[in-house]
Amino acid sequence: MKFIKVAAAAAAIALAATACGGEDGDGAGAGKDPAQLKVWMMGEGTPEQTEFLDAVEADFKAEHPDTDVQIKYVPWPQVATTFQKAAAGGEGPDVTEIGNTDVQSHIAQGNLADITDEFKGWADGKTLNKTALGNDQADGKTYAVPWYGGVRGVWYRTDWFQELGIQQPKNWAELTAAAKKIQDEKKVPGIGVPSDQTNALLSFIWGNDGTVAVQDNGQWKGRLDQPQAVEAVNFYAGLVAKEKVAPEKYVGKNELEGPQRDFALGKLGMYFDGSWALKEMKKIADKDAGKWGVFPIPTKAGGNAPVMAGGSDLGVWADSEAKAAAFDYITILNNAKHAKAWADYSGFSSMRSDVKFSDPKLAVFTDIAANTQFPPISAGWGEFEQAKKVLPNAVKAIMQGAPAEAELKKANEQANTLLNAS
Amino acid sequence: MLDTAPAVRKPPGRRTSGRVRLRRRPRLGPYLLIAPTVAVIAVLMFWPMLQIGIMSFQKVGNRQLRGEPAEQVGTGNFEKILNDPFFWQTLKHTVLFAAVAVTLTLVIGTLVGLLLNKLGKRMSAFVAGGVMIAWATPPVTAAIIFSWLFGSTGGLVNWTLDMLPDALVGGGWSDHNWFATPLSTYTVLTVCVVWQACPFIAVSVLAGLKSVPGELYEAARVDGSGPWRTFWSITYPMLKPIFLVLVVMSIIWDFKVFTQLFIMSGMANRDAFNLSLYAYSEAFGSLNPKLGMGSAIALVLTVILLVVTALYVRVMVRQGETR
Repeated sequence: MKFIKVAAAAAAIALAATACGGEDGDGAGAGKDPAQLKVWMMGEGTPEQTEFLDAVEADFKAEHPDTDVQIKYVPWPQVATTFQKAAAGGEGPDVTEIGNTDVQSHIAQGNLADITDEFKGWADGKTLNKTALGNDQADGKTYAVPWYGGVRGVWYRTDWFQELGIQQPKNWAELTAAAKKIQDEKKVPGIGVPSDQTNALLSFIWGNDGTVAVQDNGQWKGRLDQPQAVEAVNFYAGLVAKEKVAPEKYVGKNELEGPQRDFALGKLGMYFDGSWALKEMKKIADKDAGKWGVFPIPTKAGGNAPVMAGGSDLGVWADSEAKAAAFDYITILNNAKHAKAWADYSGFSSMRSDVKFSDPKLAVFTDIAANTQFPPISAGWGEFEQAKKVLPNAVKAIMQGAPAEAELKKANEQANTLLNAS
Repeated sequence: MLDTAPAVRKPPGRRTSGRVRLRRRPRLGPYLLIAPTVAVIAVLMFWPMLQIGIMSFQKVGNRQLRGEPAEQVGTGNFEKILNDPFFWQTLKHTVLFAAVAVTLTLVIGTLVGLLLNKLGKRMSAFVAGGVMIAWATPPVTAAIIFSWLFGSTGGLVNWTLDMLPDALVGGGWSDHNWFATPLSTYTVLTVCVVWQACPFIAVSVLAGLKSVPGELYEAARVDGSGPWRTFWSITYPMLKPIFLVLVVMSIIWDFKVFTQLFIMSGMANRDAFNLSLYAYSEAFGSLNPKLGMGSAIALVLTVILLVVTALYVRVMVRQGETR
């Protein structure tokens, strides 16, 4: 502990010293290739992921023959603690993948290098999704670039819809009716509505013209107590509590702790998930895979609800001593050829406008992705959503009978304080 | 642990003389022997504990971890915690769970210990081996097994309850969510923790029982004492020192249960948090760690534990039960 602190302090001093001395240009080591480039990728490191990164490395090596690329996989559940250790111990990466909802926290904590100039010099930068890029910027500086993204829709059984004569639900009432019909006829729960799935919940709030918070003179002001949000949360939670078309067994869970598995096994009518779920569900049971389909989450009045654009971005770690090579790696990883290969493997859509989603089954996600929104771009969102899990706990309470107005009023007070805390 | 009983039963005279001799001629030998252990414990335990103590009066986030000096906030962290109704809710859960789990662990563990003593040599070894597997199971493994057993899809418990006649247990079990409300979460947690903790009690009690002279039981039998009376008049008084240690250890273990609850209900169910989970969620829950707050909660938990243990030991010593 002490040694780590001493080491961290030493690293910080060294960093400060180089930062002061390096005002005149890109730093001394910019031109030279480092012996090693540490790259952190999220996920478990499947054979396909490794194969993909090997191809990227081969292209990178062509330009930087003396640099050894070292990949480290960080499983998603361990992301927060791994980055904390990296910040504390000075053992960080050079290039890292970052979940897009975490980018603002990283920027606020000074974990990411300012890559504004490098980004300006990258021609492909113009193809990147503007909304997603906005999330990587603060005070006019760029700290990361969007890599891939994913949006959620409603997975359903095409054969059951056909058999029961259900049309694709266009509004909330039709969604409830469809779930009810499946539940009555097929003797399985109509729709999976977990309490810990804020990404799906947000689509309902946005689809009712509500929002979590708005920024006013640099201050975040909670909007969860407004009637639009209350009505949306009431509908979402009401699928469990009032309409009883969603089972109580997913209360306190997320979409991976039940709904995904149950849907793949044919024990659930519908559930909310993204394009990447297809390959996960095939692993669970692929006998019905041909009968799975997706439709957009509807709004209350009718139409496609805005969806949360989840996904990952790429950044250069602040402590990296090889920033130029690190950014080069990003440009190769995210060039048109590799972006396409990644989309094909992962099922996530590229954030480049020149790389299209090609799989016909997943084509609908391209429609859905036309209408994306973002939760409050604030460093406090991590605290609000991950540490305190304010919305999941409010939704859980409402599903278990608490009045929505009171719960959301409390959640809104939390939003007012947490989103503005630094 | 297992040789506590004989040590306590030493004649008091010898101990006094030993103490006198020690005072006259202090010897370095014993201290040298324990020095390596103390050094390791000091580095791995006392130093982090000291750090927690210091951090609980500071604001420590990622920026501080990177080397920026931490901001002193005085007792701010503690004021924030103690004024938060959520803290008191988690404290209530922690205390209630410990009370129930300690009681159950001791009762069931003692019963198993008595059973082991009654069984023949081979059967006793077999049962002891069986229960020790539960003790040896890592908490993570046990927690995963229990969350599968009580899971909503393919969980053995729900399946069994669903197979039983509805008149007996009611219907609708197949989709029952055991981790939806704090009470049922804690029911599963209690079963899991008690299952894991009682083997240690059983084996300790068994070791104690082996040291009770058989004549006492013989005399009791001749006097016509039943099993209940025999337990409370002979076994319990003879094993009191062991029970004292077991109770204190169980309280400490059950107060700081974390792993099982973390795996079973996780961060998304704040209504079922205990103090350990609350401290974790503050300290490590997101990318904006608040290590100062987490340390403060951990410190409060430690102080409570020390007070409870100290009070209990004091009462026992007052009653002369450790002699």
